[in-house]
Amino acid sequence: MSGIEAIVGAGLAPYLALIVFGFLPSEVWRVLGVFLSRGLDENAEILVFVRAVATTLLAAVVAKLLVFPSGALVLVPLWARLGAILFGLGAFFLARRSMIAGVVAGEVFLVAAATFAIETP
Amino acid sequence: MAEPAPDAGPAAATHSLVWRGARDALALPAWVVGFALVGVGSLAQGVGYPLGATMLSTLLIWAGPAQVVFFGSLAAGVALPLIAAAICLSSIRFLPMTIALMPLLRRPGQGLLAQIAIAHYIAVTVWVESLRRLPSMPAQERLPYYLGFANACILTTTALTGVGWFLSGTLPAPLASGLLFITPVYFTIALAAGARTAVDVTAIVLGFLLAPLFGHLVGRDFDLLFTGLVGGTIAYLAGRARRRRKA
Repeated sequence: MSGIEAIVGAGLAPYLALIVFGFLPSEVWRVLGVFLSRGLDENAEILVFVRAVATTLLAAVVAKLLVFPSGALVLVPLWARLGAILFGLGAFFLARRSMIAGVVAGEVFLVAAATFAIETP
Repeated sequence: MAEPAPDAGPAAATHSLVWRGARDALALPAWVVGFALVGVGSLAQGVGYPLGATMLSTLLIWAGPAQVVFFGSLAAGVALPLIAAAICLSSIRFLPMTIALMPLLRRPGQGLLAQIAIAHYIAVTVWVESLRRLPSMPAQERLPYYLGFANACILTTTALTGVGWFLSGTLPAPLASGLLFITPVYFTIALAAGARTAVDVTAIVLGFLLAPLFGHLVGRDFDLLFTGLVGGTIAYLAGRARRRRKA
């Protein structure tokens, strides 16, 4: 029995575990958002505040992914992760706000730095 | 829908709006979020999750960071209820995101289940792009466009999650880290592209700075909650003070 079967079991169990412990705890926020936004006009003042909170949260998620990475990103040093973000942002603005230029530039920087860091530890 | 809505007027046909949304998604955003989740597919295969359930995780959870928490915690042997709690805390952003977007998509006569189904598509890519594109569109054109856009994103990403499952273990480490890096770099650039007001810019900067700070102060479970509330409130109040001065 592999490690995963010890936790979630075999057969349909992985699907059930996914729904109960992955899907529902995440989806509850979207459903709650549907209820709390009822009757709100698209120009309501409260939406300015709600958008500010959402934008802050998105930036916070990025910061967490960069500062506390997981998986293969752990192998890439912090300076390279932060440098790649700044490089991508710079390319985005230099290329007249082209999102694809920004993403590609950030990726090239990171993969190059990762190759360097992983092969010369 | 067999009959056009009474206020449809001379608006573009529904199916052409759906296609326009799908086409705009496939021009870039759907691929970015899709490739970002290749890494999730690889991670899930690595912990022994079946292909079907792995792809279903994209269709159902539709949140890269939460999926990484789910499969990563399973790999680490974390108990399922604790995984559920971590996912719940990591997905808290969907609450303000949904509240902010739904007023743009709500139409007269829409049932509650339909609204919940509409809200299910909300994730960073769809949210940022919708907030950018929908406000200038006529109200009756928004939903079909949104559904075309969002379905193209989620279906492309589900397929690429499956590709990642098959690629697991075959990717060199630098490429694997590059795939995982798509999420932070794309989020950052999407935020920069979507920022129009001083409130947006303040919120982005505060989110970046406060998250690691609260991560140390309150721990990595409740840091997002604190960052969102504190940073969002400061950004909003600063923006309001600015508007008052101008007025």
